[in-house]
Amino acid sequence: MTYSIIARCPRTGRLGIGTTTTSLACGRRNESVRPNVGISKSQAMYVRAHDPRALNLLASGYTSRAVMNMVEANDDDFEFRQTGIIDREGNAVAHTGAKCGKWAGHKVGPYYAAFGNWLSGPAVVDGLVDGFLADPNLPLEDRLLLALEGGRKAGGQAAPGNPKAERSAWLRVVDQHDYPEIDLRVDMHTDTVAELRLLLQEFRRYQGYYLERSRNPQEAVPEETFVAQLQ
Amino acid sequence: MTYGLIARCPRSGRLGLGMASYSLAVGLYCSDTTRANTGASFTLGAPLPGNNALAMRLLAQGFTSSQVLKELIGNDPNSDYRQIGVVDREGKTAAFTGAKTSPWSGHRIGEGFVAFGDMLAGEMVLDAIVQSYAAAPAAELEDRLLTALEAGRDAGGQVGSTGRLPERSALVVVHGIFDYSDWDLRVDRDEDAVDKLRRTHEEFKLFAAYYIERSRNPRDAIPQMEFRGMLAANRKKETP
Repeated sequence: MTYSIIARCPRTGRLGIGTTTTSLACGRRNESVRPNVGISKSQAMYVRAHDPRALNLLASGYTSRAVMNMVEANDDDFEFRQTGIIDREGNAVAHTGAKCGKWAGHKVGPYYAAFGNWLSGPAVVDGLVDGFLADPNLPLEDRLLLALEGGRKAGGQAAPGNPKAERSAWLRVVDQHDYPEIDLRVDMHTDTVAELRLLLQEFRRYQGYYLERSRNPQEAVPEETFVAQLQ
Repeated sequence: MTYGLIARCPRSGRLGLGMASYSLAVGLYCSDTTRANTGASFTLGAPLPGNNALAMRLLAQGFTSSQVLKELIGNDPNSDYRQIGVVDREGKTAAFTGAKTSPWSGHRIGEGFVAFGDMLAGEMVLDAIVQSYAAAPAAELEDRLLTALEAGRDAGGQVGSTGRLPERSALVVVHGIFDYSDWDLRVDRDEDAVDKLRRTHEEFKLFAAYYIERSRNPRDAIPQMEFRGMLAANRKKETP
């Protein structure tokens, strides 16, 4: 019961994941993206160990297609898994096993993959892609969030009788550093994608201040002073 | 305006971090703060997120925690503005509070853990974290870390120029033997982030075993919505 978009920004080389799901705390899966290596995002009946191993293979120089083949060869339950993999050149592949629930599927583009399971229908994956492609000049995190909003608008998860099926959401973008540039999480909420939008908006107001404070602490004003200036 | 602790559980060897902050999304700056069979390290004050991965690499190569601390300080012209804690895989600790961190700031070193924070109501905040953490050695590390954060909050937490500052974000993360976390819960934006983290923690506990089992035995797994339905039915039974 998850829908995700993974992408490598062709302008900047930044790598990012946007996802929302009924499971709690989906952002704990931070092992799924590695700067200048790639992305492996597994879901449905995923195995946590699969993503770091796939990234180790990408780091060794295998292409995303070759890595997907190795992931398949190593997994007796591949038909229960849904996975997207992107290498550092932006080559994207995706797999949706036959036993990933109804409806499940993916769409792969030149530098992105959109995929989901237990969805209300194929329109959700189309919504992800449409949102993502709406404005290629935006920063990657905005494109990923627009994709999630597109997926939700198109029906989101198939959960008859439960309009609040998505309980967590996550946006992570890495650039050249070991640590992420954007890593925002909604771990337990009743309107996760909307909350993620509010969180990104709020974080954006602080982002430059946090960066500057880290680099030039000698000049930094206290955060409460900064907050007072915002209002 | 952050407080918390890093720790190694002496029973299990698991490594973890718990933090609460007035800043938004403190967890964003906590990447690579813990790694299985390696150690735990975090730099706060004016955070320097690159320090975390650097500390992990040095620990992985076998540097002692006190030597890692020296390397991090030597690599940073603004170390006076940082607080740094390091715990290695054997539980040996080192900590540093720069002279220009915002008062009250300081750290406490205990058996396999470091508690630290800045812009605190006073040293009683750290004392409360230490006492709480030390009080339940038999509990799981994630529970000990969260309970310690609650104790720090209840002892006064953070203060600014006009009084108490709310905890707006918080997290607990624990690594066991895997490349990925055993436990990793966050609150990025809330008026009472420690309380929200507790509620998320209790809810996640209900699902944790299900998530592991589903991963190992997908052929026998029931859909999550069905599992949620069963939980809801049980709750109704318990509170008629």
